[in-house]
Amino acid sequence: MHISEGVLSPPILISGAALAILGTAVGLRKLDYEKIPKTAILSAAFFIASLVHIPIGPSSVHLILNGLMGLLLGWVAFPAILIGLLLQAILFQHGGLTSLGINTVIMSVPAVTCFFVFKTGAGSHRFWVSMTSTFLCGFCSVLLGNLMAAVALIFTGEAFVAVARVIVAAHLPVMIIEGIITAICVRFLKKVKPEMLEVIYD
Amino acid sequence: MINSDTIRDKILFNNLRYILVFMLFFILATASSVKAHKVYIYAWVEGDTVHVESYFSKTRKVNEGLIQVFDTSGTKLLEGRTNKSGEFSFALPKKTDLRIVVGAGTGHRNEYILEGEETPEGSGVAAGPGKTTDETAVSPSPIQADTEHIRIIVEQVIEARLKPISRELAEIRREKGPGLTEIIGGIGYIFGIMGLIMYLKGRRKKR
Repeated sequence: MHISEGVLSPPILISGAALAILGTAVGLRKLDYEKIPKTAILSAAFFIASLVHIPIGPSSVHLILNGLMGLLLGWVAFPAILIGLLLQAILFQHGGLTSLGINTVIMSVPAVTCFFVFKTGAGSHRFWVSMTSTFLCGFCSVLLGNLMAAVALIFTGEAFVAVARVIVAAHLPVMIIEGIITAICVRFLKKVKPEMLEVIYD
Repeated sequence: MINSDTIRDKILFNNLRYILVFMLFFILATASSVKAHKVYIYAWVEGDTVHVESYFSKTRKVNEGLIQVFDTSGTKLLEGRTNKSGEFSFALPKKTDLRIVVGAGTGHRNEYILEGEETPEGSGVAAGPGKTTDETAVSPSPIQADTEHIRIIVEQVIEARLKPISRELAEIRREKGPGLTEIIGGIGYIFGIMGLIMYLKGRRKKR
């Protein structure tokens, strides 16, 4: 889901960057002092997650963890993902500096959207409601991110349906794995460190 | 006031413990498979042929990736697609710096600059049209023909000798995925940024 440098045209890159700045500004406003260490942990987790490869058939895909970030951070997922992506671009040459904005949008917008859609369900005291909601949060964040990447790529001349199909098909296992990871992480944190989940109860 | 400060310190301390656990977990998880999801491209010259190889990882090559070759002024010289093992070869079109771009679809793109100096001196292109090979080297005087023959033979021998070395060089120069240095460095940066933001926010709070 990292779009490389030189693939997209300037108007898309600029509008992506503008949206990313907007989201990051909102995120930074919502970032209180006590949330900073948690944000840093998740940013670091996101930074490394892209190196965790899951071999599936002939190809391999990597974790994204944007659903988990959304659920634990809400709007703050924006700055956290931005910093993770910036360092991935500089140190791993994943994506690129010019496509940093659009990549941030592709991963953060689904994170924040899924946060608002699933937070009530995730905070539920009923085991299965909470598990299903967190699973769906992880699943849908990746799915939505893929669709957004496909939208961004239409303007490069690649046909939307074809691109979307390729990306979504390649990421289907990731969606399932992310869903499971998100569900397990949230379940674990609920038992061990419920303060980490304060955003979903706000 | 003191009370709220100690509470904050406690929260920070608790969080730091979890930071360490998370870091350890991720380092262990990634240590076994450190590779990036990025398309790599590498090109090298052998005689008059340029070989391009493009791959996602050691075992996963770019199949049917679009390769485009540009010269220094940006005009497209040729294009083609990689085969199943991620390879594409073409005859050296010009003895200048070549910009070789691979597009592997769905937003993956990378390029490699093949410098003019990398193309061996006296390769077919440098000698201009009418390739200087054994059969075309028709010289008027016998002495000149002799030196010409020697030149060609020496060149062939050198090329054969250098082949394994240039292969090895190509292998060394080939881009590797990120290593442990980059990973730990990146995590360090993130916590550095965290410290900076905390410092700034903390100062504002005190005022």
